[in-house]
Amino acid sequence: MNSAIITFENLSIGYNGEPLLRDISLSINQGSFTAVLGSNGSGKSTLLKTILGLIPPVVGRVALAKPSGTPIIFGYVPQSSALDPLYPFTGFDVALMGSYGRIKPGRFVPASEREFTHVCLEAAGAQGFATARFAELSGGQKQRVLIARALVTQPDVLVLDEPTAAVDAAATHAVLEFISRIHREKEITVLLVTHDLPIVREHAQHVVWLHQGKVLYGPVAEMLMPERLASIFEMEVG
Amino acid sequence: METLLQILSPDFLLRNSVYTSILVGFACPLVGAFLVLRRLVFMGVALPQISSTGVAVALSAPLWFGVSQATHSSQSDHTIAFVGSVVFTLVAILVLAFLERRGRGLAEGRLGTAYVVAAALSILILSKNRYAELGWLDLLKGEVITISNFDLALTATALGLVLGILALFHKELFLVSFDRAMAVTLRKNVVFWDIVLYLLLGITVSLAVLSVGPLISFGFLLIPALAAHLFARTMRQFLLFASLLGGFASLAGFWIAYKWDFPVGPADVVLLGVFYGMAWILAKIVERVSGKQSRQKKW
Repeated sequence: MNSAIITFENLSIGYNGEPLLRDISLSINQGSFTAVLGSNGSGKSTLLKTILGLIPPVVGRVALAKPSGTPIIFGYVPQSSALDPLYPFTGFDVALMGSYGRIKPGRFVPASEREFTHVCLEAAGAQGFATARFAELSGGQKQRVLIARALVTQPDVLVLDEPTAAVDAAATHAVLEFISRIHREKEITVLLVTHDLPIVREHAQHVVWLHQGKVLYGPVAEMLMPERLASIFEMEVG
Repeated sequence: METLLQILSPDFLLRNSVYTSILVGFACPLVGAFLVLRRLVFMGVALPQISSTGVAVALSAPLWFGVSQATHSSQSDHTIAFVGSVVFTLVAILVLAFLERRGRGLAEGRLGTAYVVAAALSILILSKNRYAELGWLDLLKGEVITISNFDLALTATALGLVLGILALFHKELFLVSFDRAMAVTLRKNVVFWDIVLYLLLGITVSLAVLSVGPLISFGFLLIPALAAHLFARTMRQFLLFASLLGGFASLAGFWIAYKWDFPVGPADVVLLGVFYGMAWILAKIVERVSGKQSRQKKW
């Protein structure tokens, strides 16, 4: 049995002290693949930002624990549209940023980190985009570079915010297959925000469903049962 | 050519002005690149104006407190002006950045108001100061003529320090500017690095305003970076092109001004504008040609 790596303790999340979701208490186990589902504005991104420490909880806390007691390292994959195309970074420059957490301020990036970045780009199938300007890559290509960057951080938890938004079906399949593979091979905990039920069914083990201010949590098989889905959507329509 | 050799000669009477112009020309675009990338172009307009208001206030303050202006040396005037410029710029930049972070209201509106109020305040202060005509207006206009060895040394040291800090901490400054969320997950103190960047901006703007005036500072902060962005494929190229263009324009501007008896600062800015226009046309031609070639390849 794997131990909990992320635990929400009576957590309420939102902005400026106004809770969007209340009383969340659940644990995400180390090495699990959890999908976060919910309609637009349900609080998926807010939950992600709270986990990552980008915004503080309104009430309660997020306990982040590794058995070794060392701090958890997040490999964050934002939506590529969130990054300003004005910056003339290459794919390699963007991926290399993943190593900055290990390099002290004022120190130059050592050759070993550059080599490791190339390894991660290769693993993510993004080596071909290393010298291209990041802003000029397609949605799927950007996503691969951002996944490579997340891998460069040597993460305990891979956090992906709708990685297949604005990506075509073939690229979506390739990206998700790759994430599933590294999840299995490296036993990395994966937290995936998505709208895509078939993806969840195929790759995830657990589902966190944010719905009308409530948080439903359970195994995929149970959460995506037709009767359960019908009741959720009925509630949404109602 | 003869004029250029004369300008570059160590015996040239205005050599300090040439060196200061070139220093500002090389350094301002490197800091201005962050303003362009962070889409804070209007801050690049407002800050030099606020900085020059700081100069006007600092130079007028002794008069308000009854201290005789005649006892001041030009060196102490320059130091007082520098302090006023730095204080006003840093306070303004920190307040504007704080309001920007809160994300409420219209940023352009705030910056536009800051610009116009600062410009009006400078005129009001100087209109009530009988010493204003004794070189201070030249200082604010950026005549770039009377620059002492002390001024040159101060400018060179401070800009050297700014560029050194930029070089040392470029990866933190770029990370925090490009992807704040990523920076937070990597446990970078984003507020601290923002303040470092704003300090560098404030010091550079203050020095540039004292050396070449607000209009020219704005020109050097933004135009080289905007022109370089049209061609740069990497961040390194972007910074290098911008800095070289700024340095070259400052030297060429000085040469034009000296040869045809124009004021230096406006000559620099007009030249930068011409370079930007040429770069834009060239970029469009390159874009059209490369587009045509890629279409031909597809066929």
